[in-house]
Amino acid sequence: MIELKNISLTYSENTLYDNFNLKVEKGELILLSGPSGSGKSSLLRMIPGFIRPHSGEVILFGQALDKHSLKSVRQKISYISQDVDFREEIVQDLIEEIFQYKINRHISSPLPKIMQLMDEFQLSQDLIHKNIRELSGGERQRLGIIICLVLDRDIWLLDEVTSALDSELKEMVVSRIGKSGKTVLIVSHDPQWEYAITRKVSIGKRGL
Amino acid sequence: METGGISYVNYLWFLIFLIPLAYMNYKLRFKLNKRMILAILRMIIQLSLVGVFLQYVFRLDNNLINISYVLLMMTVASFSVMKSCSKQQLRFLPLVFLSFAVPNLIMLIFFNTYIVDLETILAARYTIPVAGMLLGNSLNSIIVAVNHFYNSVNENRREYFTSLSLSGSRIEALRPYFRQALMTTLNPTLASIETIGLVALPGMMTGQILGGALPLTAIKYQIAIMIAILVVRYFAAILTIVLTAFFSFDDYGIPLGF
Repeated sequence: MIELKNISLTYSENTLYDNFNLKVEKGELILLSGPSGSGKSSLLRMIPGFIRPHSGEVILFGQALDKHSLKSVRQKISYISQDVDFREEIVQDLIEEIFQYKINRHISSPLPKIMQLMDEFQLSQDLIHKNIRELSGGERQRLGIIICLVLDRDIWLLDEVTSALDSELKEMVVSRIGKSGKTVLIVSHDPQWEYAITRKVSIGKRGL
Repeated sequence: METGGISYVNYLWFLIFLIPLAYMNYKLRFKLNKRMILAILRMIIQLSLVGVFLQYVFRLDNNLINISYVLLMMTVASFSVMKSCSKQQLRFLPLVFLSFAVPNLIMLIFFNTYIVDLETILAARYTIPVAGMLLGNSLNSIIVAVNHFYNSVNENRREYFTSLSLSGSRIEALRPYFRQALMTTLNPTLASIETIGLVALPGMMTGQILGGALPLTAIKYQIAIMIAILVVRYFAAILTIVLTAFFSFDDYGIPLGF
């Protein structure tokens, strides 16, 4: 489903990846581990094309990622970044905007689904009327995960999305994502993921 | 009231108001005097030269010269945008020129034909001053909008990528920044339209009244010019952002060099 082939990437004169290879099968839940600055987040950002490798290929659904396949590939991916970087606006407006994107319009009544998941993830319903900047790190992370669940993409790329949650919530999120049956790549230092993953990929200072 | 000839002696008297200003600057150590004096001298020289030049242009009143003069104004304005914007890339110059030309020429022709009701559409007496007013406003609008748009995309790259990663197309992901830029550039004009007559009498209207026109005639022109200004500000800003944005992102939606 995801194949990274002979990837080389240099960032600020540091070689992060040198002929790195990774193959991810459908339904796998892979934890990327490694020291800070080893390029785990860069690897996740490479998959939807936000960072381009200097050499090598990113292959998704059997198609090499290029300007022609980009659009169709991005439609199948949800990527949630470390700080869940939503634009600062009212949560409800943000949700409406995301589900007004042409590709997301087929998702019927997303708001009730989101409200239901907010209950499940112990988020107050009032949060919908708050501005994103008023949300704590944990609230933003849960909101990101909820949007990811409602979008229901084939591939989830999650970068430290549980770092600000307490252990009870972490377990709940891990369990929910573990049972999703989706292809998931996670960057996290939380031990809770160890029980849900199908494989752990260690990334050293210069990739694998 | 005779306004045809303001004497140079009267002008010199008028400059007397600058003396307390210069004194205050000196006392408060604002270090503005040199710049202020140079700016005023520059303005006097520039406007005098333009005045002499326009006298000839008005006397000749040749359509080709008039339109060439307007196009020259647009070219200077385009260079001015390049100088004032964070995106100082010369390859954008034709796009900026086009953004000036399309709305302003359409509006100018429409204004001269239907508002002033001219027989010669490009008559110098109307074309050049109206073009000047419209272009000045377009210039300001483009600079504010373009700087706001690109700076906010640049400062919010992560948020922009989040929108892309949640299936937004490049246009959808850029839309909020586009909207904000347009609002920023239009707000002052809308505020000025809202308060016109109550708070301030605009320059064109004041000029006409001082020149001997009836207030009601001056008001008709002012209403038309305010609408024209709003329209050109709007479309000049939109066109510049849309045209330059087309070449400012790579195939992957990643911002290029700004």
